[in-house]
Amino acid sequence: MTGTIRSNQIQKIFSQNEAYLSLIIVAYSILVTSLNPSFLSFENLLDLGKSSASLGIMAIGVFVVLLSGGIDMSFTAIAISGQYIAANVLIASGIDNIYFAFLISCMVGLGLGAINGLIISYFRIPTFIVTLGTLNVFHGILLTVVGTKAVNSAQLPDCFKKFGATNVFTIVKPEGGSYGLSIFTVIFIALALLTWFILTYTRLGRSVYAIGGDMEAAKRAGLNVFSIQFFIYCYVGILAGIAGVLHVSLIRYSNPTYLVGSELSVIAPVVLGGTRITGGSGTVIGTILGVAMITLLNNSLILIGLSSFWQEFFTGIIVAISVSLSSYQIRKSMMI
Amino acid sequence: MFDQYLKHSRTTILFVMMLGSFIVMSIFLPGKFLTLSNFQSIASQIPEFGLLAIAIMLAMLTGGIDLSIISTANLAGVGAALILTKYSLPQLGAYEESYIIFLAIISAIGISFLCGLINGLLIAYIKVPAILATLGTMSIFSGIAIVITKGYGIQGFPEKFLYIGSGTILAIPMPMIIFIVYILIMSLILNRTSFGFNLYMLGSNPIASRFSGINNRGILIRTYILSGLCSGLASIIMISRVNSIRPGYGSAYLLQAILVCVLGGVDPSGGYGNISGLVMGIIVLQILQSGFNILSFSPFFKNVVWGLMLILVMILNFYSLIYSQRFRKRLKVD
Repeated sequence: MTGTIRSNQIQKIFSQNEAYLSLIIVAYSILVTSLNPSFLSFENLLDLGKSSASLGIMAIGVFVVLLSGGIDMSFTAIAISGQYIAANVLIASGIDNIYFAFLISCMVGLGLGAINGLIISYFRIPTFIVTLGTLNVFHGILLTVVGTKAVNSAQLPDCFKKFGATNVFTIVKPEGGSYGLSIFTVIFIALALLTWFILTYTRLGRSVYAIGGDMEAAKRAGLNVFSIQFFIYCYVGILAGIAGVLHVSLIRYSNPTYLVGSELSVIAPVVLGGTRITGGSGTVIGTILGVAMITLLNNSLILIGLSSFWQEFFTGIIVAISVSLSSYQIRKSMMI
Repeated sequence: MFDQYLKHSRTTILFVMMLGSFIVMSIFLPGKFLTLSNFQSIASQIPEFGLLAIAIMLAMLTGGIDLSIISTANLAGVGAALILTKYSLPQLGAYEESYIIFLAIISAIGISFLCGLINGLLIAYIKVPAILATLGTMSIFSGIAIVITKGYGIQGFPEKFLYIGSGTILAIPMPMIIFIVYILIMSLILNRTSFGFNLYMLGSNPIASRFSGINNRGILIRTYILSGLCSGLASIIMISRVNSIRPGYGSAYLLQAILVCVLGGVDPSGGYGNISGLVMGIIVLQILQSGFNILSFSPFFKNVVWGLMLILVMILNFYSLIYSQRFRKRLKVD
């Protein structure tokens, strides 16, 4: 009896968490708009949707890992490996096709993710340490074997640039120029929906929640923890591969030293979205809201007249406050 | 008796590794490895890195982790650097100069104390998981450092201050002397005080330690303060050695510090690990590092080696755990 009450309370807290976050996002948007009306234009919002897509896709991957009770630090190295190898293969082979780029990047992601998955599921080593190790191994191998020279805009195959400029619909402004809903945003939403579907309606997805909630209980219930963990890290790898291609298409420049080092700024929005680091609870919606909040913050500081130096400070403050609040609520609900 | 066997076997393995890497380097790099200047450069690199490793080790002993060590060191370094550059004018007398250097050191220690206290309060009172709390404070501390310096470096410190990082006494670099004194103090704290004993208790089983009347919160707060102080001390040595500070400096140390803890036998889930193991781990890593430098390996390749070593050591620990469990079972059957 008490058990069900507690779990209801926890569920309530997490739905509350999302409601709070939405409220904060709305309030903050109103604040920024009142200071600078150009913020709440349709064009700016669509632009934010485009530029946050690759962060969002990586965040979804991180979310799935956190849900299973692990943590992944190596996804940035996977994303940059996928991106850089794909760009180089396309240049070397002369094939100018974005699907081919996605294929290569996803295969690289799958392969590297599988290495993570094998090590983590076979040896019972803390995931943080394994992925911190593989982060350096993957990135080091990329830089030593594949190369350190950046692919600049002129060398980059045209398909990336074309893909980066693709819009699902386009609105022509009366004063000239046009804007529209980028395909990036659509891919991000599609992947979010796919992840939500897998996590909610498939046996595999429920098992992710189960091993995150209690690994031992999941094992006793007859779940194959080995294959579930293997799936999770492969999935993250593929998502990272996709994010890598989006990233290069957006900035039209592939530098193998980019992205790596920004792991924590991808983990921050996921945590902000209410996903518990100990695993077992969290939602896709929360993750999307977290990404929205961080993107908003990063893009609005200049609009409200603060220099971009404040970005990291405010991100830290928001993460610290949100993890403190959710830890405090959990503690209160558990009556400890 | 069995635990003693395990403890000794691990220390022995580390000792053999240390000797082995030393001998291999001496044989394969004749005339380059065994030189006074090489040893001096090794000895001047060990301290700042070793202090950061001790900072992580303290957090790991309680079963947590401190990701904010580098940002704490940066912030403390920026604080000290501001005082050193703003107030030290060329016309100052020797007395005033010493006073300003003293003030800078005190402020660096004070800032790192505050950073550690904030971490400790978040972790002990609000019960935020250590990895998340320090993830947040990491951004906050380095964010403050970036806001203060606007992303630029601060350089040009008084001559006397540089002595801390680059001076020598009897051919022993000054940082090394500070480090050795600090190691001795830390070993005393960990092995000979009730705080140290309680720290290990808390790390191996927080619930048991709470029910045996240990003030878990107090221990956690003091641990993170101590961890912050290590970073502060590291920052003083760091800024005085390179004669400048820039936010983000030393971010590569985070992985290496975790690696060296794991290599030195610290259990990331808490309760196990000692200073002597850590120091041997640091020496192994530095010997390899200097060998790589002599062979002029690319820094990226070094990352590959560190990453592989981290995973390999954890895999070896995994097997040794399984072996020791079997061994224990056999003992029980007998």
